[in-house]
This record gives sequence, structure tokens and C-alpha cells, in this order.
Amino acid sequence: MNQMPPPATQPDRSTSVVGLAVLATLILGVAVWMYTQRPAASILGGAGSAVPSGATPSDLPGFQPDVWYLPDDDLLGFVEIPEGPFQMGGDPTTDRQAFENERWSPTAAQGTVSLPTFYISRFEVTVAQFAAFVGATGFNVGDATLQGRPNHPVSSVSWPDALAYTRWLDATLRESPQTPPALSQLLRDSWKVTLPSEAEWEKAARGTDGRIYPWGNAARSERANYQGEGTTPVGAYLCPDCPYGLLDMSGNVWEWTRSPYQPYPYDPANDREGLGDDALWVMRGGSFTDPERNARTATRGGGDPGARRPFMGFRVAISPS
Amino acid sequence: MSAARRRHPQRRRHASLQRPQTASRPAPSPSPLRLFWVPLALTLGLLLVSFVPRVQGNSVLVQSVWAAAGGLLVWQAVLFVRLRHSSAHRSFHTILRSQHYLQATLHTAVFAYWGYFWRPVYDHVWLLVAQLLFAYAFDMLLSWSRRDSYGLGFGPFPIIFSTNLFLWFRDDWFYLQFLMLAAGFMGKELVRWQRDGKRTHVFNPSAFSLGLFSLVLIATGTTDLTWGQDIASTLTLAPNIYLFLFVIGLVAMYFFSITLVAGSAAIVLFGSSALYGAVTGVPYFIDSEIPSAVFLGLHLLVTDPSTSPRTSLGKAIFGMLYGLGVFVLYAALGAIGVPTFYDKLLCVPLLNLSVQRIDRLVRSLQDNDVIARWRPDWTTARANLVHITVWVLFFSTMTAAGATDGRHRGDSVPFWEQACAEERPRACERLIQLETNYCGDNAGWACNELGRHYAAGTIVVADRDAALGFFSQACELRFQAGCVNLLDEGAPSRADPRALDFRLLLREAGPNLLEMPEPELHARACDHGWTFACDGSTE
Repeated sequence: MNQMPPPATQPDRSTSVVGLAVLATLILGVAVWMYTQRPAASILGGAGSAVPSGATPSDLPGFQPDVWYLPDDDLLGFVEIPEGPFQMGGDPTTDRQAFENERWSPTAAQGTVSLPTFYISRFEVTVAQFAAFVGATGFNVGDATLQGRPNHPVSSVSWPDALAYTRWLDATLRESPQTPPALSQLLRDSWKVTLPSEAEWEKAARGTDGRIYPWGNAARSERANYQGEGTTPVGAYLCPDCPYGLLDMSGNVWEWTRSPYQPYPYDPANDREGLGDDALWVMRGGSFTDPERNARTATRGGGDPGARRPFMGFRVAISPS
Repeated sequence: MSAARRRHPQRRRHASLQRPQTASRPAPSPSPLRLFWVPLALTLGLLLVSFVPRVQGNSVLVQSVWAAAGGLLVWQAVLFVRLRHSSAHRSFHTILRSQHYLQATLHTAVFAYWGYFWRPVYDHVWLLVAQLLFAYAFDMLLSWSRRDSYGLGFGPFPIIFSTNLFLWFRDDWFYLQFLMLAAGFMGKELVRWQRDGKRTHVFNPSAFSLGLFSLVLIATGTTDLTWGQDIASTLTLAPNIYLFLFVIGLVAMYFFSITLVAGSAAIVLFGSSALYGAVTGVPYFIDSEIPSAVFLGLHLLVTDPSTSPRTSLGKAIFGMLYGLGVFVLYAALGAIGVPTFYDKLLCVPLLNLSVQRIDRLVRSLQDNDVIARWRPDWTTARANLVHITVWVLFFSTMTAAGATDGRHRGDSVPFWEQACAEERPRACERLIQLETNYCGDNAGWACNELGRHYAAGTIVVADRDAALGFFSQACELRFQAGCVNLLDEGAPSRADPRALDFRLLLREAGPNLLEMPEPELHARACDHGWTFACDGSTE
């Protein structure tokens, strides 16, 4: 390398002015650029999720885009389940596939649980419905949550995500003039949109005659999406013999409930006694990935509330507070 | 100025003047601009770095390096053409300053030790190489744009290293790192003043760019684009980091007489912090008497001899002002909701600007008979050794008092809960801050506590959305009370931390205690004031 003695010359003064101007411009430019890039302020961090355009189409047969993509019927897809008792749990004498965790008590395979009237949604919550919630609130969801087709069940939702949707739907239905009068009256009477309890879910799935599957006592693959390849549109599997006209109670996606996972017997008055430190919450119904055994109405899954999996979704209920 | 400081510049000057005469007398040059191959080679080196897997892993990073290299190439081309038309020539002269290569060595030691315990530092090595290549080329071109010769030495090393010891941008924003460096070099070259008869740069180059970009980051609320917060809080993952920095600092103190600057800053900070603690009953800096990153800063950021006062008294005043500046800024930034790690960065440029005033103040004080009368008959080198001795004694005392490495009372969450309940100054704010940190580390217990605070609105402004957000976070971390609180908003429940939470809550600013056996964990929890953990039945 050619080395020279230090120069005697002074720096070119004219370049100082230009240089300082460049420096000032650089700083100003960076400041403006950073300002435009800054994330939305949030105490919990995160800028809110964007809703993919395909998740909220202008037209979705069977659903009302202007009513948060809820089903196009009188009660926005909610079905009344009348008050009364039903048999809860799995009885291995009549159902050889019953799991041990379905046993009611050391002395009884099943128990009788009486529930007041409640309402439960005919379909699982769809991608479009959940996208309407995310669009309205900027709620942060996982990357996969809204990637499905709009009429498929939303999946990859955690238990708190599902509850957040129910809180939003509750508040929205209370305030909106589009809410059918019957639902408005329920909400005024202190009913609440939430996840179904495990007992509510089981009663809605099996009715009061203790059937093993929603349609009867034998597995029928044309009635539900289990052992399949992926999710299917909600309600795609018709089930005329299912109680209350509910669809996809078996298969498609596992459904979160608002009940903590703990041993039976189930007490509808208090299902939070003696909770363990480590949270697991009940999910029901099996999914497209599961064998027929998990598609039974009495099957209980314990889900990590933080898990977001492509086979886990939910449906909503309206229950008395 | 110490004898050491006086001797070195002479040696350096000899080196730079003699080498051309003895080693490489300029040969008849085929072209006065042939040295342009050097910035070209550096730029090509920068382009090559873009092909290493670390950079290839992120497309924005690759584009950032290419954009930096592209900018340099355009500048070279324009400069080359302009100079060829004007028949100008450009050259190098060597500047081998010990303050450059020794400081760079010390910086490297810090990176090596810290990175051993915090992996992102080692992951950053290729980006440091890219920045060095960029810095040399940029500095060279900037210099040749304004004068004939570029002083080739180790100068860019401490600038790059000390910048990266405090702030670097995340991969998706790394182009801003190159701009930050560019601002530092431009500040060094362009913002100059006349000092002691010499035209010299006003600002410590790394502190200038750090200060400017800190202001921009604060003003635009974009701190999250950087690793700044993590950098400030992960130094303590390295065991005995204070002792390590102290030893590193001694080397700098011995060679560059920075003892008075660093020592007086540390003494002011320790003193102010202790005074605050004695008056209020709570520590000022949450979990330390001096944050480790500030301790690093007062050894390796504020001590640039070129931009600090030259007299002993001036250095002491400079250091004290730095200590005070950090102390005040920490509270001020916290009060306006800005990350407090900027405290050590923002005051350096202001202090650099005040150097001439400090020099004038010292001169006027030295004219004062009373002060002038007391002048110990020490050589500068001997004075430096005395200062170092005092500093060693002071640091040893602080260490013996538990004010450096080891457990600090502010590490304990129950301590802050108690202090908050007793309404000690800022204790509730610190409790929230601590719980926010632990919640960010995935301690479900801390998230649930935050949710409770936001739901209750007693020590923070009530915020239902925030409360639900924190309960959700707690629940997703399988903290049962958090899930229950999502269902029953009325009276949020709480529960004791689980073993998993304790592995985070009890880490005392060190690494998470993932391997610690549970009995030991509970004993530690008991020491921290978790009374339920003192019961043997929990083991």
C-alpha cells in the first residue's frame, strides 16, 4: 500500500456545508421513516392482526355478511336446548369404546345432570365470523388462524382467543339493532354469550336419550368429518337424526368448552373446585384427524389453553349468568 | 494529562512520520487515484458478507448490506471521476493509536464474555464484520472527499464496537444501523471546533450517533426496532459482570488515565443511589446500585480522551456530570414512559458539548489562590496510579457491601409488593415494571398479577382490555388463575407462583433457573420473601 506523510492541506470547507446538510437530511429522513413504521401503541405489544381479504367475502351463502357472518336464520344460528336432565359420561357396558376419564364415579358409569335452558350455535364458529371479530377489534391472532376458507370452522385458536370472540359477540349483540328481539331479550335478562360448559356441550350433542354419537349408537362416516383430510365447510355433513338440528358436533374440529378439565363427577353449580395448578380445559367432539372413538359424544379431551392447532376450534352458547 | 498520555502521541506521531520514510517511500505512481482499489475491496468484502448464512437468513438483511455496498460504490465512482478530472491525488497515512486498538481489544473482551452467556451477541459477529467494512470504506471516502489523505489505523474499531455495545437494530431494520454509523462518522468529520489551538471533533463519534438515534427512537416510539432493551438487560446474564467490567476498566484506566472520569461517575451514581435508598427505603435502579450497562458505559463510552477534558479536575467534573446526568435521566425517562436504558446514551453528546466550558471553569478555579495552593507534587502517571488505587478501594468497598455482583434487595418481588403496600416512592411503578418484565419472560404468575392490577385500577389506571390481555397471557402459560379470571371478571383470583414461575422470578437478573432442583428453588424463594415457600411441605 502506498503510504504518504500526513497532509498539510486543510479539509475542503465547502464540503462541510454540504456534508452537514446531508447529515441533517439523513437524520430527518430516518426520523420520518421510523415514525411511519412505528407499531400501533399497545400495552401488550403487537400491532393487531390483518384480516386476509378472502376471509370476509361480500357474499357467503347461508350467512349474513352484514351481521358478522352469523347464520341467516331467525336466531342468527342459535338453537334452544330445553331445560331438563340428561345422562352424562360414558358407560363401558353399552359403549365399549368409553374412556376411563368418562366414568362418573367409582360406583357409577354415568351421572344425571340437570341443566336449565340454554342456546348453542348450530355450527362451529367460522373463519369469516372470527375474521369479522378480528377486523372490528384488531385482536392479535396467530398466522394460521384466518388462513382457512370463510365457511370452514376457524381453527388454530387458543382458549383465550375463543373466549375473546364470545366477549366481543356478547357486547356486539347487546348493542346492535340487528340483533333479533328474542336474543336481545335474553341478553337483557342477564344471559351471556360464552363458550358452552362441558355439560351443555354433551347434552346438546347426545340429547336426552344417551346416544353414543350425535346420530345414534353406531359410527357413520357420512354424518361427520372424522378420520378425514382437513376441515370441511360447517354444516357440510347433514345430520337429520342429530338432536336439536346441530351440525358437526362430531368431527371437523375439536371444540373448546368453558369447563376446566378435572375428574368427574361434574357439578354444574361449581366446576372450579379443587382446580389443579396446571391449567387444562375441556375440549369436545373430536376432529377431522381423529378416529371414530374420539368422535363420540362423551369423549373428553384436556387441552392446553395456549395451544393453537389446526384441528381445534369452538362454537358459542348463550347461557344464563 | 498523564505522562502515559503524553508519551503515546509522540510515539504515534513518529510511527506515522517515519514509516513512509523507512518502509515504503512512495513509488512513482501510475495513477494518483490508484488507491481507490482499497475502498473498492472493502465494498466487495461487504458484498461477500451478504452471502454468509447469517445474513442470507433474512432478505431485509441481505438487501440492507447490498444497499450499503451500493451506496459506497456510487460514492467511489463519483469521487473517482471528479478527482480524475481535477488531477488530484489521494493517499493514506498511518495512525496507530493505542487508544484505538487497546479499546477495541477491551470491547472485544466484553463481547466475548457477554456473548458466551447471551447467544445473540455471537450471532451478531458477521454483522459486526459488515459494519467494520462499511465503516472503513465510508470513513475513507468521506475523508478523501474533503482532503488528500486518509489516516489509516484502528480508529473505526472502537467506534463500531462501542456503538454495538449499546444499540443495534433488529435484522428487519438493519439498514438503519448503517445510517447510524454514517451519522457517527459524519459527525466526527463535520462537527468540529477549535480546542486548545487545534481543530478537533466535538463529539465522541459513537456517542454522537447513539445520542442522535436514541432521540429519534424516543420521539418516534420505535425502540422495538432495536435490541436496545435486551442489550441493556442481558449483560447481567454473564456471572460477575461488574467485576469483569471493573477489571477491563482498570486496563483502560492505566493506559488512558480515564480513572477520574469513570471513577467519579461511578462514585456519584453509587452515592446518589445509596442516598435515595436511605431516604426512601427502596433502591433507585430497581435491582442494582448502578445498572450494569451504565457501569459499562462509564468505562467504555464516556471516556474517549479526545472529547473529554484534559485536566484532572476537568475529568472529575466531567465524570460527576455524567453520573448526575444518568441519575436524572433515568427518572425523567421513566416518568414520561420512555425506556430508561437511554439514560446512559443521551447525556454523552451534551457533556461533549460542555467540555470547553468545563475547561474554562477549571482554569478559573486554578487561578483561585486557595485551590492553586494545594497541588500535590505528583507526576501525572503517579497521580493516575493514586486515582486507580482510590477507585480499587472504592469498588472493593461497594462489592463488600453487596452493591455490585450478587443478590440485590430489589431482585425480590415480595420486597416491591411490600414497598408498594407501604406507598414508598415509585415502588408500585417498579412493581409493575418488574412484573411486566417477568410476564414478558413467560412467568404466568406475573401476567396474572398484572391483570389483577389493571382490573383493580388501584396502583395503575384501570384498563379492562389490558387486564383481559394479561389474564389471557397468564392462561396461555397454563397459569390456572389467569384462565379463571377470564371467565369471572368480577373478583380476579390469584395464586402462588408455580415452580416454573420461580425459575424466572428468582433469577436475580441472571439466567433462568431451569436446572435448579425444586427444594433449592423453594429455599431461594423463601430467601426472597415468599413466605409460603418457607414451609417445608411445599418441597
